[in-house]
Amino acid sequence: MAKEIEFKNFKKSFGQKAVHEDISFSVEKGECLGLLGGSGAGKSVILKSLIGLMKPDSGSIFLEGQDITLLNEDEMVEIRKQVAYVFQNGALFDSMTVFDNLAYPLREHTTLTESEIEKRVHDLLNEFNLATDDLLYPGELSGGMQKRVGMARSIILGPEVVLYDEPTAGLDPFNIRRIQEMILAMKAKGVTSIFVTHDMPSAFACCDRIALLRKGRIVHVESVEKLKQNDTGMINDFVNGMTA
Amino acid sequence: MTLTYRFISLIGGSSLLFKETVRQIFRGKYEWNATFYQIYAVGVASFPVVMVTTMSIGMVMALQFGIGLAKFGGSLYIPKIVSLSVIKEFGPVFASIMVAARVGSGMTSEIGSMVVTEQVNAIQALGTSPIKKIVVPRVVGLFIALPVLCVAANILGVLGGFIVGVHDLGLDPMFYYQKIFETLKVSDYLSGFGKTFFFALMISVFACYYGLNVKVGTKEVGYATTKSVVTSCIAIMIGDYFLTKLFWLFEVWI
Ligand SMILES: Nc1ncnc2c1ncn2[C@@H]1O[C@H](COP(=O)(O)OP(=O)(O)OP(=O)(O)O)[C@@H](O)[C@H]1O
Ligand SMILES: [Mg+2]
Repeated sequence: MAKEIEFKNFKKSFGQKAVHEDISFSVEKGECLGLLGGSGAGKSVILKSLIGLMKPDSGSIFLEGQDITLLNEDEMVEIRKQVAYVFQNGALFDSMTVFDNLAYPLREHTTLTESEIEKRVHDLLNEFNLATDDLLYPGELSGGMQKRVGMARSIILGPEVVLYDEPTAGLDPFNIRRIQEMILAMKAKGVTSIFVTHDMPSAFACCDRIALLRKGRIVHVESVEKLKQNDTGMINDFVNGMTA
Repeated sequence: MTLTYRFISLIGGSSLLFKETVRQIFRGKYEWNATFYQIYAVGVASFPVVMVTTMSIGMVMALQFGIGLAKFGGSLYIPKIVSLSVIKEFGPVFASIMVAARVGSGMTSEIGSMVVTEQVNAIQALGTSPIKKIVVPRVVGLFIALPVLCVAANILGVLGGFIVGVHDLGLDPMFYYQKIFETLKVSDYLSGFGKTFFFALMISVFACYYGLNVKVGTKEVGYATTKSVVTSCIAIMIGDYFLTKLFWLFEVWI
Protein backbone atom coordinates (compact mmCIF):
# COMPACT_ATOMS: atom_id res chain seq x y z
CA MET A 1 0.00 0.00 0.00
CA ALA A 2 1.23 3.47 -0.85
CA LYS A 3 2.47 5.51 2.06
CA GLU A 4 -0.28 7.76 3.22
CA ILE A 5 -1.90 9.22 6.27
CA GLU A 6 -5.49 8.64 7.17
CA PHE A 7 -7.51 9.90 10.13
CA LYS A 8 -10.76 8.02 10.71
CA ASN A 9 -13.39 9.31 13.14
CA PHE A 10 -10.69 10.77 15.33
CA LYS A 11 -12.04 12.15 18.63
CA LYS A 12 -10.16 13.99 21.33
CA SER A 13 -11.20 16.00 24.34
CA PHE A 14 -9.36 17.49 27.29
CA GLY A 15 -11.45 17.14 30.43
CA GLN A 16 -14.86 18.59 29.66
CA LYS A 17 -13.66 20.33 26.53
CA ALA A 18 -14.19 18.43 23.29
CA VAL A 19 -11.55 19.66 20.85
CA HIS A 20 -12.12 17.16 18.06
CA GLU A 21 -15.61 15.80 17.47
CA ASP A 22 -15.01 13.68 14.43
CA ILE A 23 -11.96 14.17 12.26
CA SER A 24 -11.59 12.22 9.03
CA PHE A 25 -9.23 13.02 6.21
CA SER A 26 -6.37 11.48 4.32
CA VAL A 27 -3.11 12.49 2.67
CA GLU A 28 -1.74 10.70 -0.37
CA LYS A 29 1.82 9.63 -0.77
CA GLY A 30 4.02 12.55 -1.82
CA GLU A 31 1.24 15.03 -1.27
CA CYS A 32 1.42 18.18 0.84
CA LEU A 33 -1.84 18.89 2.64
CA GLY A 34 -2.39 22.34 4.06
CA LEU A 35 -4.33 22.42 7.33
CA LEU A 36 -6.09 25.66 8.22
CA GLY A 37 -8.06 26.52 11.31
CA GLY A 38 -8.41 29.20 13.94
CA SER A 39 -6.12 29.44 16.90
CA GLY A 40 -7.06 26.72 19.37
CA ALA A 41 -8.93 24.73 16.71
CA GLY A 42 -6.68 21.77 17.52
CA LYS A 43 -4.23 21.68 14.63
CA SER A 44 -1.25 20.92 16.85
CA VAL A 45 -3.24 18.19 18.59
CA ILE A 46 -3.81 16.48 15.21
CA LEU A 47 -0.10 16.53 14.37
CA LYS A 48 0.97 15.40 17.83
CA SER A 49 -1.46 12.50 17.70
CA LEU A 50 0.13 11.37 14.47
CA ILE A 51 3.46 10.78 16.21
CA GLY A 52 1.89 9.42 19.37
CA LEU A 53 2.58 12.37 21.67
CA MET A 54 -1.16 12.30 22.34
CA LYS A 55 -3.63 9.46 22.17
CA PRO A 56 -7.10 9.95 20.67
CA ASP A 57 -10.12 9.13 22.82
CA SER A 58 -11.45 7.07 19.94
CA GLY A 59 -10.93 6.63 16.22
CA SER A 60 -7.92 5.52 14.24
CA ILE A 61 -4.87 7.04 12.61
CA PHE A 62 -3.41 5.02 9.76
CA LEU A 63 0.09 5.45 8.55
CA GLU A 64 0.93 3.31 5.54
CA GLY A 65 -2.15 1.28 6.38
CA GLN A 66 -1.03 0.60 9.94
CA ASP A 67 -3.15 1.90 12.83
CA ILE A 68 -0.62 3.70 14.97
CA THR A 69 -3.04 4.20 17.85
CA LEU A 70 -2.59 0.49 18.58
CA LEU A 71 1.20 0.66 18.85
CA ASN A 72 3.12 0.76 22.12
CA GLU A 73 5.94 3.18 22.94
CA ASP A 74 8.69 0.89 21.64
CA GLU A 75 6.91 0.39 18.33
CA MET A 76 6.27 4.14 18.05
CA VAL A 77 10.03 4.74 18.05
CA GLU A 78 10.26 3.21 14.56
CA ILE A 79 7.40 5.43 13.39
CA ARG A 80 9.04 8.53 14.85
CA LYS A 81 12.24 7.94 12.90
CA GLN A 82 10.21 8.22 9.68
CA VAL A 83 7.72 10.88 10.71
CA ALA A 84 9.21 14.23 11.63
CA TYR A 85 7.29 16.77 13.66
CA VAL A 86 8.42 20.36 13.26
CA PHE A 87 7.42 21.94 16.58
CA GLN A 88 5.56 25.23 16.49
CA ASN A 89 8.06 26.86 18.86
CA GLY A 90 11.18 24.89 17.99
CA ALA A 91 11.25 22.90 21.26
CA LEU A 92 15.04 23.00 21.28
CA PHE A 93 17.05 21.42 24.09
CA ASP A 94 18.19 24.50 25.93
CA SER A 95 21.10 22.77 27.64
CA MET A 96 22.69 21.99 24.26
CA THR A 97 24.22 24.16 21.57
CA VAL A 98 22.60 24.50 18.17
CA PHE A 99 25.15 22.03 16.84
CA ASP A 100 24.37 19.42 19.50
CA ASN A 101 20.66 19.91 18.99
CA LEU A 102 21.04 19.03 15.32
CA ALA A 103 23.49 16.24 16.03
CA TYR A 104 21.13 14.64 18.56
CA PRO A 105 19.01 12.56 16.14
CA LEU A 106 22.12 11.50 14.21
CA ARG A 107 23.93 10.40 17.36
CA GLU A 108 20.87 8.52 18.57
CA HIS A 109 19.78 6.78 15.42
CA THR A 110 22.74 6.47 13.06
CA THR A 111 26.23 5.01 13.21
CA LEU A 112 27.85 8.04 11.57
CA THR A 113 31.22 9.14 12.91
CA GLU A 114 31.61 12.51 14.61
CA SER A 115 33.23 14.03 11.50
CA GLU A 116 30.41 12.80 9.27
CA ILE A 117 27.90 14.21 11.75
CA GLU A 118 29.75 17.51 11.74
CA LYS A 119 29.57 17.72 7.98
CA ARG A 120 25.91 16.82 7.84
CA VAL A 121 25.00 19.36 10.52
CA HIS A 122 26.98 22.18 8.93
CA ASP A 123 25.51 21.49 5.50
CA LEU A 124 22.02 21.68 6.91
CA LEU A 125 22.75 24.81 8.94
CA ASN A 126 23.94 26.41 5.72
CA GLU A 127 20.70 25.58 3.98
CA PHE A 128 18.78 27.14 6.84
CA ASN A 129 20.86 30.30 6.78
CA LEU A 130 22.31 29.56 10.21
CA ALA A 131 25.88 28.76 9.22
CA THR A 132 27.59 30.86 11.88
CA ASP A 133 25.29 30.09 14.77
CA ASP A 134 26.28 26.51 15.51
CA LEU A 135 27.90 27.19 18.88
CA LEU A 136 25.14 29.37 20.31
CA TYR A 137 22.64 28.10 22.86
CA PRO A 138 18.91 28.25 22.05
CA GLY A 139 18.44 31.01 24.62
CA GLU A 140 20.79 33.18 22.58
CA LEU A 141 18.72 32.86 19.39
CA SER A 142 15.75 34.88 18.20
CA GLY A 143 12.37 33.17 18.01
CA GLY A 144 12.62 32.84 14.23
CA MET A 145 16.10 31.35 14.45
CA GLN A 146 14.92 28.82 17.05
CA LYS A 147 12.15 27.80 14.68
CA ARG A 148 14.56 27.21 11.85
CA VAL A 149 16.91 25.20 14.05
CA GLY A 150 13.92 23.17 15.21
CA MET A 151 12.93 22.47 11.62
CA ALA A 152 16.48 21.51 10.69
CA ARG A 153 16.67 19.11 13.64
CA SER A 154 13.36 17.49 12.69
CA ILE A 155 14.33 16.70 9.11
CA ILE A 156 17.99 15.82 9.57
CA LEU A 157 17.33 12.07 9.47
CA GLY A 158 15.64 12.36 6.06
CA PRO A 159 12.09 11.43 7.11
CA GLU A 160 9.40 10.09 4.80
CA VAL A 161 6.65 12.17 6.37
CA VAL A 162 7.02 15.70 7.73
CA LEU A 163 4.46 17.51 9.86
CA TYR A 164 5.05 21.25 9.77
CA ASP A 165 3.44 23.18 12.63
CA GLU A 166 3.37 26.81 11.45
CA PRO A 167 6.97 26.80 10.26
CA THR A 168 6.79 30.26 8.69
CA ALA A 169 5.02 32.13 11.50
CA GLY A 170 7.16 34.92 12.88
CA LEU A 171 9.78 34.80 10.13
CA ASP A 172 10.90 37.59 7.81
CA PRO A 173 10.03 37.38 4.06
CA PHE A 174 13.51 36.19 3.12
CA ASN A 175 13.42 33.28 5.56
CA ILE A 176 9.82 32.47 4.70
CA ARG A 177 10.98 32.03 1.12
CA ARG A 178 13.76 29.77 2.26
CA ILE A 179 11.37 27.62 4.29
CA GLN A 180 9.04 27.41 1.29
CA GLU A 181 11.94 26.26 -0.84
CA MET A 182 12.89 23.68 1.78
CA ILE A 183 9.34 22.34 1.89
CA LEU A 184 9.19 22.16 -1.90
CA ALA A 185 12.57 20.44 -1.98
CA MET A 186 11.35 17.86 0.54
CA LYS A 187 8.26 17.36 -1.57
CA ALA A 188 10.39 16.86 -4.66
CA LYS A 189 12.10 14.03 -2.81
CA GLY A 190 8.71 12.37 -2.42
CA VAL A 191 8.06 13.37 1.18
CA THR A 192 4.44 13.33 2.33
CA SER A 193 3.52 16.25 4.53
CA ILE A 194 0.88 18.12 6.48
CA PHE A 195 1.47 21.84 6.60
CA VAL A 196 -0.33 23.72 9.37
CA THR A 197 -0.24 27.43 8.67
CA HIS A 198 -2.00 30.77 8.60
CA ASP A 199 0.37 32.00 5.92
CA MET A 200 -1.64 31.71 2.70
CA PRO A 201 1.06 32.58 0.18
CA SER A 202 3.16 29.74 1.63
CA ALA A 203 0.24 27.35 1.66
CA PHE A 204 -0.51 28.21 -1.97
CA ALA A 205 3.15 27.83 -2.89
CA CYS A 206 3.68 24.45 -1.21
CA CYS A 207 0.39 22.58 -0.82
CA ASP A 208 -1.57 20.39 -3.21
CA ARG A 209 -4.80 20.55 -1.25
CA ILE A 210 -6.02 22.59 1.67
CA ALA A 211 -8.28 21.36 4.47
CA LEU A 212 -10.26 23.58 6.81
CA LEU A 213 -10.69 22.59 10.43
CA ARG A 214 -13.56 24.10 12.33
CA LYS A 215 -15.50 23.15 15.45
CA GLY A 216 -13.80 19.81 15.74
CA ARG A 217 -14.38 18.68 12.17
CA ILE A 218 -12.71 18.92 8.80
CA VAL A 219 -15.41 20.96 7.11
CA HIS A 220 -13.89 21.38 3.68
CA VAL A 221 -11.06 20.12 1.52
CA GLU A 222 -10.18 21.78 -1.76
CA SER A 223 -7.32 21.60 -4.22
CA VAL A 224 -5.05 24.63 -4.40
CA GLU A 225 -5.62 24.85 -8.16
CA LYS A 226 -9.33 25.39 -7.63
CA LEU A 227 -8.81 27.83 -4.77
CA LYS A 228 -6.59 29.95 -6.94
CA GLN A 229 -9.24 30.06 -9.68
CA ASN A 230 -12.26 31.20 -7.73
CA ASP A 231 -12.35 33.35 -4.65
CA THR A 232 -15.58 32.12 -3.11
CA GLY A 233 -16.14 29.24 -0.75
CA MET A 234 -15.45 28.36 2.83
CA ILE A 235 -11.69 28.29 2.67
CA ASN A 236 -11.42 31.67 1.02
CA ASP A 237 -13.86 33.11 3.54
CA PHE A 238 -11.61 31.83 6.28
CA VAL A 239 -8.52 33.18 4.60
CA ASN A 240 -10.09 36.58 4.10
CA GLY A 241 -11.10 36.75 7.74
CA MET A 242 -14.84 36.38 7.04
CA THR A 243 -15.20 33.46 9.44
CA ALA A 244 -13.19 31.90 12.24
CA MET B 1 -11.31 12.51 48.48
CA THR B 2 -8.96 14.48 46.28
CA LEU B 3 -6.17 13.90 48.78
CA THR B 4 -6.72 10.15 48.69
CA TYR B 5 -6.86 10.31 44.93
CA ARG B 6 -3.63 12.27 44.76
CA PHE B 7 -1.94 9.89 47.17
CA ILE B 8 -2.95 6.88 45.12
CA SER B 9 -1.87 8.47 41.85
CA LEU B 10 1.46 9.44 43.43
CA ILE B 11 2.13 5.89 44.61
CA GLY B 12 0.88 4.33 41.39
CA GLY B 13 2.53 6.84 39.10
CA SER B 14 5.90 6.77 40.78
CA SER B 15 5.91 2.97 40.95
CA LEU B 16 5.26 2.80 37.21
CA LEU B 17 7.92 5.42 36.64
CA PHE B 18 10.39 3.45 38.74
CA LYS B 19 9.60 0.24 36.89
CA GLU B 20 10.10 1.92 33.52
CA THR B 21 13.31 3.53 34.77
CA VAL B 22 14.77 0.18 35.73
CA ARG B 23 13.76 -1.23 32.35
CA GLN B 24 15.37 1.68 30.51
CA ILE B 25 18.66 1.34 32.43
CA PHE B 26 19.27 -1.94 30.66
CA ARG B 27 18.08 -0.91 27.20
CA GLY B 28 20.41 0.37 24.52
CA LYS B 29 23.53 2.28 25.22
CA TYR B 30 23.82 3.71 28.69
CA GLU B 31 24.06 7.50 29.19
CA TRP B 32 27.30 7.64 31.16
CA ASN B 33 28.02 11.30 30.50
CA ALA B 34 24.64 12.45 31.75
CA THR B 35 25.00 10.22 34.81
CA PHE B 36 28.43 11.58 35.68
CA TYR B 37 27.10 15.05 35.25
CA GLN B 38 24.30 14.29 37.72
CA ILE B 39 26.70 12.74 40.21
CA TYR B 40 28.74 15.89 40.00
CA ALA B 41 25.74 18.21 40.20
CA VAL B 42 24.26 16.32 43.13
CA GLY B 43 27.34 15.21 44.99
CA VAL B 44 29.89 17.92 44.65
CA ALA B 45 27.44 20.80 44.69
CA SER B 46 25.51 19.53 47.73
CA PHE B 47 28.64 18.79 49.71
CA PRO B 48 28.93 22.17 51.50
CA VAL B 49 25.27 22.21 52.58
CA VAL B 50 25.39 18.65 53.87
CA MET B 51 28.71 19.34 55.56
CA VAL B 52 27.47 22.38 57.45
CA THR B 53 24.18 20.73 58.47
CA THR B 54 25.53 17.49 59.81
CA MET B 55 28.50 19.06 61.52
CA SER B 56 26.15 21.45 63.31
CA ILE B 57 23.93 18.54 64.34
CA GLY B 58 26.89 16.71 65.84
CA MET B 59 27.99 19.81 67.69
CA VAL B 60 24.54 20.65 69.03
CA MET B 61 23.95 17.10 70.19
CA ALA B 62 27.24 16.95 72.03
CA LEU B 63 26.38 20.21 73.72
CA GLN B 64 22.86 19.14 74.70
CA PHE B 65 23.90 15.74 75.98
CA GLY B 66 26.93 17.29 77.65
CA ILE B 67 24.77 19.67 79.66
CA GLY B 68 22.14 17.03 80.41
CA LEU B 69 24.41 14.16 81.29
CA ALA B 70 26.86 16.25 83.32
CA LYS B 71 24.17 16.55 86.02
CA PHE B 72 24.25 12.80 86.48
CA GLY B 73 27.97 12.47 86.00
CA GLY B 74 27.40 10.78 82.68
CA SER B 75 29.72 12.87 80.50
CA LEU B 76 31.74 9.79 79.69
CA TYR B 77 28.89 8.44 77.61
CA ILE B 78 28.88 11.44 75.33
CA PRO B 79 31.23 10.02 72.67
CA LYS B 80 29.12 6.90 72.38
CA ILE B 81 25.71 8.56 72.37
CA VAL B 82 26.61 11.30 69.94
CA SER B 83 28.52 9.13 67.47
CA LEU B 84 25.91 6.42 67.53
CA SER B 85 23.00 8.76 66.90
CA VAL B 86 24.87 10.55 64.13
CA ILE B 87 25.82 7.38 62.36
CA LYS B 88 22.55 5.51 62.79
CA GLU B 89 20.12 8.39 62.25
CA PHE B 90 21.14 12.00 61.93
CA GLY B 91 23.88 11.68 59.35
CA PRO B 92 21.86 9.68 56.81
CA VAL B 93 18.53 11.39 57.48
CA PHE B 94 19.76 14.96 57.53
CA ALA B 95 21.95 14.45 54.49
CA SER B 96 18.92 13.05 52.66
CA ILE B 97 16.62 15.84 53.78
CA MET B 98 19.09 18.47 52.65
CA VAL B 99 19.53 16.72 49.31
CA ALA B 100 15.75 16.44 48.92
CA ALA B 101 15.43 20.17 49.47
CA ARG B 102 18.33 21.18 47.34
CA VAL B 103 18.49 18.58 44.58
CA GLY B 104 14.93 17.26 44.51
CA SER B 105 13.54 20.75 44.03
CA GLY B 106 16.07 21.47 41.29
CA MET B 107 15.20 18.25 39.47
CA THR B 108 11.46 18.89 39.58
CA SER B 109 11.69 22.46 38.39
CA GLU B 110 14.15 21.62 35.63
CA ILE B 111 12.07 18.73 34.33
CA GLY B 112 8.86 20.74 34.74
CA SER B 113 10.30 23.54 32.65
CA MET B 114 11.37 21.02 30.03
CA VAL B 115 7.78 19.80 29.85
CA VAL B 116 6.41 23.33 29.53
CA THR B 117 8.86 24.24 26.75
CA GLU B 118 8.03 20.96 24.99
CA GLN B 119 11.57 19.62 25.31
CA VAL B 120 10.23 16.40 26.78
CA ASN B 121 7.86 16.09 23.81
CA ALA B 122 10.81 16.77 21.53
CA ILE B 123 12.86 13.95 23.05
CA GLN B 124 9.93 11.65 22.39
CA ALA B 125 9.21 13.02 18.93
CA LEU B 126 12.84 12.41 17.93
CA GLY B 127 12.36 8.73 18.69
CA THR B 128 14.10 8.64 22.06
CA SER B 129 12.82 7.95 25.54
CA PRO B 130 12.41 10.83 28.01
CA ILE B 131 12.72 8.29 30.83
CA LYS B 132 16.06 7.11 29.52
CA LYS B 133 17.33 10.60 28.76
CA ILE B 134 16.04 12.47 31.80
CA VAL B 135 15.01 10.12 34.59
CA VAL B 136 17.63 7.37 34.42
CA PRO B 137 20.71 9.61 34.83
CA ARG B 138 19.10 11.41 37.76
CA VAL B 139 17.98 8.28 39.58
CA VAL B 140 21.27 6.47 39.06
CA GLY B 141 23.29 9.62 39.79
CA LEU B 142 21.58 10.19 43.12
CA PHE B 143 21.74 6.49 43.97
CA ILE B 144 25.52 6.78 43.76
CA ALA B 145 25.98 10.29 45.12
CA LEU B 146 23.74 10.24 48.20
CA PRO B 147 25.47 7.30 49.97
CA VAL B 148 28.80 9.00 49.34
CA LEU B 149 27.43 12.21 50.82
CA CYS B 150 26.18 10.15 53.74
CA VAL B 151 29.70 8.90 54.45
CA ALA B 152 30.92 12.49 54.53
CA ALA B 153 27.95 13.50 56.68
CA ASN B 154 28.70 10.75 59.19
CA ILE B 155 32.34 11.70 59.46
CA LEU B 156 31.56 15.39 59.87
CA GLY B 157 28.75 14.78 62.36
CA VAL B 158 31.02 12.68 64.54
CA LEU B 159 33.78 15.24 64.10
CA GLY B 160 31.40 18.01 65.21
CA GLY B 161 30.61 16.05 68.37
CA PHE B 162 34.31 15.48 68.92
CA ILE B 163 35.14 19.17 68.63
CA VAL B 164 32.48 20.21 71.12
CA GLY B 165 33.26 17.30 73.43
CA VAL B 166 36.91 18.23 73.61
CA HIS B 167 36.64 21.97 73.36
CA ASP B 168 33.53 22.81 75.39
CA LEU B 169 33.01 19.78 77.62
CA GLY B 170 36.66 19.25 78.43
CA LEU B 171 36.80 15.56 77.48
CA ASP B 172 40.19 14.08 76.71
CA PRO B 173 40.71 13.87 72.91
CA MET B 174 42.36 10.44 73.04
CA PHE B 175 39.59 9.09 75.22
CA TYR B 176 36.92 10.48 72.91
CA TYR B 177 38.70 9.07 69.89
CA GLN B 178 39.05 5.61 71.38
CA LYS B 179 35.45 5.53 72.55
CA ILE B 180 34.20 6.24 69.07
CA PHE B 181 35.91 3.22 67.63
CA GLU B 182 35.24 0.98 70.61
CA THR B 183 31.51 1.51 70.66
CA LEU B 184 30.62 1.69 66.99
CA LYS B 185 29.98 -1.57 65.22
CA VAL B 186 29.94 -2.11 61.49
CA SER B 187 26.30 -3.08 61.71
CA ASP B 188 25.51 0.31 63.29
CA TYR B 189 27.24 1.98 60.43
CA LEU B 190 25.53 -0.09 57.77
CA SER B 191 22.04 0.32 59.19
CA GLY B 192 22.35 4.08 58.74
CA PHE B 193 24.27 4.03 55.50
CA GLY B 194 21.99 1.41 53.94
CA LYS B 195 18.96 3.66 54.30
CA THR B 196 20.41 6.28 51.99
CA PHE B 197 20.03 4.02 48.95
CA PHE B 198 16.29 3.92 49.59
CA PHE B 199 16.16 7.63 50.32
CA ALA B 200 18.01 8.34 47.07
CA LEU B 201 15.39 6.41 45.11
CA MET B 202 12.52 8.16 46.89
CA ILE B 203 13.93 11.64 46.29
CA SER B 204 14.81 11.16 42.64
CA VAL B 205 11.73 9.20 41.61
CA PHE B 206 9.32 11.61 43.31
CA ALA B 207 11.21 14.59 41.88
CA CYS B 208 11.02 13.19 38.35
CA TYR B 209 7.40 12.13 38.82
CA TYR B 210 6.28 15.60 39.84
CA GLY B 211 8.40 17.22 37.14
CA LEU B 212 7.05 15.04 34.34
CA ASN B 213 3.49 15.55 35.52
CA VAL B 214 3.58 19.28 35.00
CA LYS B 215 1.07 19.94 32.23
CA VAL B 216 1.08 23.60 31.36
CA GLY B 217 2.49 26.85 32.56
CA THR B 218 5.40 27.89 34.71
CA LYS B 219 3.17 28.51 37.74
CA GLU B 220 2.55 24.79 37.95
CA VAL B 221 6.30 24.22 38.00
CA GLY B 222 6.41 26.10 41.29
CA TYR B 223 3.64 23.99 42.81
CA ALA B 224 5.22 20.80 41.58
CA THR B 225 8.55 21.76 43.11
CA THR B 226 6.98 22.40 46.50
CA LYS B 227 5.04 19.14 46.36
CA SER B 228 8.14 17.23 45.35
CA VAL B 229 10.18 18.49 48.31
CA VAL B 230 7.38 18.02 50.85
CA THR B 231 6.62 14.53 49.60
CA SER B 232 10.28 13.48 49.64
CA CYS B 233 10.83 14.82 53.15
CA ILE B 234 7.75 13.10 54.53
CA ALA B 235 8.66 9.90 52.71
CA ILE B 236 12.15 10.03 54.19
CA MET B 237 10.80 10.47 57.70
CA ILE B 238 8.17 7.76 57.46
CA GLY B 239 10.46 5.52 55.46
CA ASP B 240 13.10 5.96 58.13
CA TYR B 241 10.85 4.38 60.72
CA PHE B 242 10.12 1.33 58.60
CA LEU B 243 13.67 0.94 57.37
CA THR B 244 14.98 1.17 60.93
CA LYS B 245 12.55 -1.50 61.98
CA LEU B 246 13.49 -3.63 59.01
CA PHE B 247 17.22 -3.35 59.66
CA TRP B 248 16.59 -4.04 63.30
CA LEU B 249 14.69 -7.23 62.52
CA PHE B 250 17.47 -8.16 60.16
CA GLU B 251 20.11 -7.64 62.85
CA VAL B 252 18.20 -9.76 65.36
CA TRP B 253 17.72 -12.46 62.78
CA ILE B 254 21.42 -12.58 61.93
N1 LIG C 1 -2.03 19.14 26.83
C1 LIG C 1 -3.21 19.76 26.80
N2 LIG C 1 -3.99 19.76 27.88
C2 LIG C 1 -5.21 20.36 27.86
N3 LIG C 1 -5.70 20.99 26.79
C3 LIG C 1 -4.96 21.03 25.68
C4 LIG C 1 -3.68 20.42 25.63
N4 LIG C 1 -3.17 20.62 24.39
C5 LIG C 1 -4.10 21.33 23.72
N5 LIG C 1 -5.17 21.57 24.47
C6 LIG C 1 -6.38 22.29 24.06
O1 LIG C 1 -6.73 21.83 22.80
C7 LIG C 1 -7.13 22.90 21.97
C8 LIG C 1 -6.35 22.84 20.68
O2 LIG C 1 -5.01 23.13 20.91
P1 LIG C 1 -3.94 23.20 19.74
O3 LIG C 1 -2.64 23.50 20.37
O4 LIG C 1 -4.03 21.98 18.91
O5 LIG C 1 -4.45 24.45 18.91
P2 LIG C 1 -3.90 24.97 17.52
O6 LIG C 1 -4.97 24.77 16.51
O7 LIG C 1 -2.59 24.37 17.23
O8 LIG C 1 -3.77 26.53 17.81
P3 LIG C 1 -2.59 27.55 17.37
O9 LIG C 1 -2.90 27.98 15.98
O10 LIG C 1 -2.78 28.68 18.33
O11 LIG C 1 -1.32 26.83 17.53
C9 LIG C 1 -6.89 24.16 22.75
O12 LIG C 1 -8.14 24.65 23.13
C10 LIG C 1 -6.12 23.76 23.95
O13 LIG C 1 -6.61 24.44 25.07
MG1 LIG D 1 -0.68 24.94 17.31
